[in-house]
Amino acid sequence: MDIAAYIESGNLEAFVLGILPETEMAQVQAYIARYPELAKEAAAIEDALLNIAMAEAVTPPPEMKDKIWGAIQAKATPHLEISDKEAAEKQGALILPLSPNMRHTRFSQAAVWAALVGSLALNTMFWYQNSQQKKESLAMNTRMDSMQNNQQKLLAVVDNYTKGKNMMADNDMQTIVMHTVLKGHPMAATLYWSKDKAEAYVMMDGLPEPPKGMQYQLWVMQDGKPVDMGVLPNTMANTALIQKVGKPVGRGEAFAISLEKEGGVPSPTMENIYVMGKS
Amino acid sequence: MENVKTYSEEELVLLLKQQSRDAFNYLYKNYAGVLYGVITKVVTDEHTANDVLQEAFVKIWNNIKMYDAAKGRLYTWMLNLARNTAIDKLRSKGEIMKGKIQMGETDVSNSGNTRKTEISTDAIGLRKIVSGLRPEYEVIVDMAYFKGYTLDEISKTLNVPLGTVKTRMRSAMQQLRGEFSN
Repeated sequence: MDIAAYIESGNLEAFVLGILPETEMAQVQAYIARYPELAKEAAAIEDALLNIAMAEAVTPPPEMKDKIWGAIQAKATPHLEISDKEAAEKQGALILPLSPNMRHTRFSQAAVWAALVGSLALNTMFWYQNSQQKKESLAMNTRMDSMQNNQQKLLAVVDNYTKGKNMMADNDMQTIVMHTVLKGHPMAATLYWSKDKAEAYVMMDGLPEPPKGMQYQLWVMQDGKPVDMGVLPNTMANTALIQKVGKPVGRGEAFAISLEKEGGVPSPTMENIYVMGKS
Repeated sequence: MENVKTYSEEELVLLLKQQSRDAFNYLYKNYAGVLYGVITKVVTDEHTANDVLQEAFVKIWNNIKMYDAAKGRLYTWMLNLARNTAIDKLRSKGEIMKGKIQMGETDVSNSGNTRKTEISTDAIGLRKIVSGLRPEYEVIVDMAYFKGYTLDEISKTLNVPLGTVKTRMRSAMQQLRGEFSN
């Protein structure tokens, strides 16, 4: 460290005047403790400031001495105990004699007030805390609910994918894409069919949601005649949900979906057959 | 009897920690004038200066436990405490803020004249000497010593690098040291 340069920097002056930021004050102090030359210079600066201050001393008005002592006493006495009368007198404090009765009343009144005020304050605080906690727990519940909802939805999706994956992994599973039979209306549905197990799964991702009071119905063509395979839930329309067909289906040349009135019909309305696919 | 007593700083610190009346008497006798001198350089209104002196003594009395000899002498601690108390008072009265707006050409004797009650002593002696310094030193001493600006504030207000503020302050102090070393 270049001591001479440090002295010339003016840091010591700023340190002695106490006008450096806290961290720099500590740093200069550490340097002073370490380098005697710096300590010597700092002391010289202190001397100079003291000399200036002494040369510029001004005698305060004479009444100030007692006034200041009074102020010091006023600030120093509050910690004294009431019973500490002797000590207070030694300090020169003014003691007002109170009759025991008066004392009693005043103190009990004061105590009652203090207790009352304290209790009110606590009540207010607890009431506030309580209402805050209620609000928070309500918000938490709402969040939990929505999280649970989301989780259920996700589980359903995962379940669906798992089913789909298992189906695809089945070598015997046949995929039949049913295409639109209505010109100008691009629609589609998919049927997964395991002939050996007589099981079928259906997905209506390419079909619009049916109007109110209507429902899709699945048909299988056996020997040229449509056989009812059951109605499909409206919630499946336009989604990738896959549902197992409720009835066993061991044979058939083709599959079709028609839009029928809610609950289904015994035989399909021909002009309402939307999609069809051959097996 | 006690008037002839002299205490070393260490002894005085111990005495003050005991909070005895003797300690106060000694403190007041030996330091009141010097502290009042410092205070009246900052606040020139006598009534305010008296308040500040009282406040400073109460602070010294109550905070003597915080005095750390490793950081400097008791005297320096008390001088800085008195000066800072005066500056705080000045700031709370808004005088510094006014000064800040006009900053850039701080005229020491002017700022003295605008105050109503002048203390009829040679209180402006130091200010006079300071005003004899080169203007670029004078303004820094005025801001740092009499108005309590931080170094950073001085640097920004005067648009002078922090390092330059410090070296100028040192030069100014060197000059003052020369003036006051009897």
